[in-house]
Amino acid sequence: MSASNDAMRASERQSRTIEEQRQTILELQTPVIQVWDGILALPIVGSVDTARSQEMNEALLQKIVDTGAEIVILDITGVPVIDTAVAKHLLETVSASRLLGADVLIVGLSARMAMTLVHLGLDLSGVLTRTTMAKGLQLAFARLGLEVVHRRGAASVSLATDDLEV
Amino acid sequence: MNARERIELIVPIEGESGIVNARSQARTIARDLGFGMVDQSRIATAVSELTRNIVRYASGGRGEVIIREIAGPADQPGVEIIVSDEGPGIADIANAMRDGVSSSTGLGLGLPGTRRLMDEMKVESGAGQGTIITIRKWRRRSANQLTLHD
Amino acid sequence: MPRVPVIRVGNVLIASVQEDVNDREATDLQDELLQLLERTGAMGVILDVSLLQLIDSFLGRMLREIAVGARLLGAQTVVVGIQPAVAVTLVELGLELTGVRTALDSEKGLRLLHRLMTHTRAGNWSGNERSRKD
Repeated sequence: MSASNDAMRASERQSRTIEEQRQTILELQTPVIQVWDGILALPIVGSVDTARSQEMNEALLQKIVDTGAEIVILDITGVPVIDTAVAKHLLETVSASRLLGADVLIVGLSARMAMTLVHLGLDLSGVLTRTTMAKGLQLAFARLGLEVVHRRGAASVSLATDDLEV
Repeated sequence: MNARERIELIVPIEGESGIVNARSQARTIARDLGFGMVDQSRIATAVSELTRNIVRYASGGRGEVIIREIAGPADQPGVEIIVSDEGPGIADIANAMRDGVSSSTGLGLGLPGTRRLMDEMKVESGAGQGTIITIRKWRRRSANQLTLHD
Repeated sequence: MPRVPVIRVGNVLIASVQEDVNDREATDLQDELLQLLERTGAMGVILDVSLLQLIDSFLGRMLREIAVGARLLGAQTVVVGIQPAVAVTLVELGLELTGVRTALDSEKGLRLLHRLMTHTRAGNWSGNERSRKD
């Protein structure tokens, strides 16, 4: 009797571990990064199907709630193919984020993607885009009224030291 | 080995109060069956849409909503909801399932939206024949739990 | 008795939609808000839906109609507190809450509202607001 109890407990532990690992993998696949106060970035690597899109949205929305971010930068540089279905998923992400008060900026659109979208007759006119993450950040900072300024006479600071003066 | 009885609830609909009643029962059962927050919301919303049609179009706003626990071919757990009435019926189902201005403005029967929220949907109806709509949602193995914020 | 309490704070009406309003209560809310706007001349409305676990096509339409009606009476509306699960469902339903401004919570909502109210105080004669959400 106790042997089968032990076996049951062992297999429960095992399935819990498997479940935790699954969660970790999911989280790694859709990393939502807070790049600045109020700015989230979501780099999408790989294809975007319905299941992945739903998981992405849920992770992103939760992060918006947790951080109160008002700007989301979706980086689609790593998305291989953009078609009607993918565009629809991206638009859903944009719409859902907006409902939580966050504006979405899509970066990483290539010339080829742009052409595909034009040919598909898809209207992404309601969405702000920039070609690179750097440009996206610039826009996001501007929107938040932030400016990156070069400090005068600043010697180069070694990143190895622990006492950086900011 | 306990043979748990599968959950099945019959919600008679007779007028407006049925909409809130049916959708909150559906949510409760979905929650009890282990569906995540988002799926609970999808299921409750789908039930709300379909039940409203009963109240709007069937005489006396009379109909029935059955919420049942089901198991799929691969033994995956799910919920099946059957919304039926003896109302005027849908003459052109294909048209009703088409996205249009009425669905995006919240008018119309809400069938395309319901279809998107659910995994499966079946509409049996005809002019003067009443309507039976069956919807199903399967529980995903990892239920994403979205926490509430205040 | 209306299930949605509406309070007035200065120039702003704040309505906290309670959990699971039925169709009738939603319509009553719309009536009440528009009447209050007319009576008080308030210029802003905060619709707090953070307690709502569900926004279906009817409620979605009500929210939009409140925003449109309020604008006709010279007031700006911000819907706050849409729950993530509800947001996902709304989007999948295909409900376009176009023209409805939203914010994460009341605090951000009030900030947005004040920005909007200041912006429109001078009047918007061309009728073209450069807002993405419209």
